[in-house]
Amino acid sequence: MKKGNSLTLTDILITVVIALVFAVIYSLWDGIYTILQPFGLHLNELVYGMWFIAAIVAYLIIRKPGVALIAEFAAASGETIVLLQFDVSLIMYGLIQGLVCELVFLFFRYKSTSLMAAVLAGIAAALSTLPLDWYYGYLGHLETWNLALMFSLRILSGAIVAGWLGHLLYKALKETGVLKFVGRRADNSHEGL
Amino acid sequence: MLETIKNYSTFIDKANPLTKILLAAILFATVIFIHNPNVLFHLTILMLIALLCLSGVKIKYLVMLLIFIFISGFISSLYMIFYGEGTETLFRYGIIHITDESFVRGLHITMRGVILSLFGALVIFTTKITDVFYALMIQLKVKPKYAYSFMAAIRMVPIIVSEYFQLRQARKVRSALINKKHISGFKSLKSTIVTLLSQSIRRAYRLGIAMESKGFSDGSRTYFYKTSLSRYDLYLMLIIAAAIITAVQIGTVITPFDSTDAR
Repeated sequence: MKKGNSLTLTDILITVVIALVFAVIYSLWDGIYTILQPFGLHLNELVYGMWFIAAIVAYLIIRKPGVALIAEFAAASGETIVLLQFDVSLIMYGLIQGLVCELVFLFFRYKSTSLMAAVLAGIAAALSTLPLDWYYGYLGHLETWNLALMFSLRILSGAIVAGWLGHLLYKALKETGVLKFVGRRADNSHEGL
Repeated sequence: MLETIKNYSTFIDKANPLTKILLAAILFATVIFIHNPNVLFHLTILMLIALLCLSGVKIKYLVMLLIFIFISGFISSLYMIFYGEGTETLFRYGIIHITDESFVRGLHITMRGVILSLFGALVIFTTKITDVFYALMIQLKVKPKYAYSFMAAIRMVPIIVSEYFQLRQARKVRSALINKKHISGFKSLKSTIVTLLSQSIRRAYRLGIAMESKGFSDGSRTYFYKTSLSRYDLYLMLIIAAAIITAVQIGTVITPFDSTDAR
């Protein structure tokens, strides 16, 4: 296998498959999100973080440049395939969130698997799409307390659901032993799983 | 699968997937810059007509989908209707405060979502997923390793889903023997995801190695499926452009909403 930081087909395939597992979960999660919406109190924002978890888990597993972006794009477009509903805004949001996660991981030089990196990426992803929401959903015309509630719930969700839960999943996956030959660790392995 | 729910196919089926995705992106940008609810109202109707006539899907499936699109679009803008700023009160109950302005603004956001969903549905009903990736490789010169790993991964989705059901059944059978924590609640969610992920990673790793050794990863290649740009792409672009222009024009004449600016 090729060495270094460039992505091999196996890396991409694993990333996309991880993302598609999450796409299936996202589709189920969409139900929870919609049920929480009618209250209008932004309770749905509490589960919003789930939408960045694919990027974070895929990065923690592979740890190469581009993985977070591909994962988030694949998860967003995978949702399209699973739900049979093509939604451009979904894919755009996915791309922006993936890109921001990528920047955070670049800051860690694609090395760290710490909880800190995951939580920071979650928070960054939560912040990243607020400007788009601002224009799309006329957030500037919400009552101030309601807007503050929405922002804080989303950031909290990014940190806990995406960062902490993503890291928890990574640790559990590591214990199963499937990560031995995957991503960066693949460099010194000559055996299959 | 699409053939079973379709009555007939139209020229949109022959248009290039990339054109459709590009148009969807343009439509997204357009609805963000339209602040007149009247214009969006007409655009919604035009998109609805486009979906009904051009998708070729049987009407009963379309009706089900439309109900879903309209309801979920309305629900997702309730936050604005309930808590938006405004002066002319329509309804007040506790912290819920519906005003004339926030109501129109809420409907405006609903229509944005609905327009995008309607066009999205039109795209999904007229596009084969594999064609998207071939178009990306042939027209946009995306590296084959990306496109092929996407296509291979999509084929794994049914396996992932069936694995999930298998896991659920296995838990059901063993429910008397294992701790309740592992059947419902957070622990079970975690173990479900971890099981699905680890199995998928293992499978993807094996498939990836096999595909790499067969030369799917790089190098120049020829394609069995052909995608190209044709006059149908032009027709589709003209239709969407005409819809937007018509909506803007009629929006100033026929005005179902009193206000011309949702902001």
